Amino acid sequence: MAEFFYFLCAIVAIAGAIGVVALRNPFYAVLSLVCHLFALAGLFLLLRAEFVAFAQIVVYAGAVMVLYVFTVGYVGGDDESVRPWHGPAQKGVALVFAGMLFVELCLAILGSGLKALDGEGAPYEAGFGSPGQIGELFLTTFLFAFEAASILLLIAAVGAVVLARRRGAGRVEADRMTFTEFMRPIGTGTTAEAVGTRDAGINLPAPAAEPEREQLESGRGERA
Amino acid sequence: MFADVFFVEPWWMQLIKSLVIFLVVFNLVPITLLAERKLLGRFQARYGPNRVGPYGAMQPLADIGKLLGKQQFAPRHAQHFLYVIAPCLSVIAAAGVIALIPFGPTVDIFGTETGLYGIDVSIGILFLFALGAVSFYGLMLGGWASTNKYSFLGAMRAAAQLISYEAAQGLALVGVVITAGSLSLVDIVEAQAGMWYFIPQFVGFIIFLIAGFAESNRPPFALPEGEAEIIGGYATEYGGGRFANYYMAEYLEVVVISFLTVTLFFGGWHLPFGIDPPHWVDPIVVIVKAIFFIFFFIWIRATLPALRYDQLMSFGWKVLLPLAMLNTLVTAVLVVTLN
Repeated sequence: MAEFFYFLCAIVAIAGAIGVVALRNPFYAVLSLVCHLFALAGLFLLLRAEFVAFAQIVVYAGAVMVLYVFTVGYVGGDDESVRPWHGPAQKGVALVFAGMLFVELCLAILGSGLKALDGEGAPYEAGFGSPGQIGELFLTTFLFAFEAASILLLIAAVGAVVLARRRGAGRVEADRMTFTEFMRPIGTGTTAEAVGTRDAGINLPAPAAEPEREQLESGRGERA
Repeated sequence: MFADVFFVEPWWMQLIKSLVIFLVVFNLVPITLLAERKLLGRFQARYGPNRVGPYGAMQPLADIGKLLGKQQFAPRHAQHFLYVIAPCLSVIAAAGVIALIPFGPTVDIFGTETGLYGIDVSIGILFLFALGAVSFYGLMLGGWASTNKYSFLGAMRAAAQLISYEAAQGLALVGVVITAGSLSLVDIVEAQAGMWYFIPQFVGFIIFLIAGFAESNRPPFALPEGEAEIIGGYATEYGGGRFANYYMAEYLEVVVISFLTVTLFFGGWHLPFGIDPPHWVDPIVVIVKAIFFIFFFIWIRATLPALRYDQLMSFGWKVLLPLAMLNTLVTAVLVVTLN
């Protein structure tokens, strides 16, 4: 059973990874990356790391890829493909980097002497990969790395907000809303507006399209 | 293979119980459909459906029969594979949650130990959010694959709404997780034996409920389907059985969120005032409580006007999310100081 699932996930993962590179339509490329991520989550499950598996789906498939899908959905048309740029310099650089990556992988894999092939693998202890154990490791052994990563993400979030603010500097006030405005929005045809006793329709918010994109960008920071 | 899934029962019992749980919860969908139409009628001072069967009780059957009997069509330019698969993804995501809902503790049925739940996963709540990710793709792919501007706008709205409110919902549940000390839904219910969590986690409960309304894409959060502006949103190009799938996913979501509210905040199978009935009553208690929340969903739909789209986004990010964070922080501090 485990073998069946292993090969299923492994094949889907590799096929997805190839699809990301090979598919011409960017939307399908993103979707095959999603398939790849789901297959990876399956492999994590087989390694008894449920927390990592589901965190993978929630964070990558559920948050990061969502933004990819958004962007590609807006930008890429149905049959428009990414036009490849055939320059000799690009090909040369690509080959060099691919070669470097290959050598690095060879060092990593062959460097272990492939001793693990004959072994039984690491033994399973009860509670391995549980949220409690992972949390404990984060707050004891890997505290520094954990905090450094969270500060990095915080900087990214702040940066996204700053960039979004700067671009929309002219109409910052438009999407700000007080509690009373929330409860009694302007321009929705209340009786008070109709008889002119309330400041009607003068300060209507900007169309939703622009603020929405801002929301999304600041949202990415908070969720990533 | 799945290390921390506890199966106390033999495989045949697992099959039987999954069938029973699925059929019971699934049959709440047409009942919800009928209840909504009848109750909306009453809320709006009219009768609601009363032609098909006694008191109009056969109306859902007629609806479903009509939808399934229709011709299946797709727009000529639609991305056909995605167009077909998207409604199925929506239903899968909604139905997957059913497996996690606990209806009772482990009991003895004719000499066989059986847990009255689908599965008890150690990371139950994460499982919920993983399924939320799948439901996003159901909406998004449906809208995109239709190759229709209105569908696409609807899908974008739906997806933005889904992820915005999922963030608040997730943080609202962190408070529950901290208080219970576990991610497993069965453990969370058992931890509520003394006090239901809607009392210590009242803020979390409100946020969860509001986010639940938003996630099921129903009024007052029905912007993705805003008939007045974008026709039918992501479902514009869908008809017949495929539309029925989307429709069913929406109602299934209502049912499932009601069950989750009961599980996470209203003590699951526990009864108040220390009443301790025999175990066969437990599932009935859960279902009755859930039906109350389904009624609540319909009530809200009949009462509140829809939000404007920018209000919806501001409310999600600027009110609910900070509130949920504050709730998490206060809960964490309280749990640490009181223990």
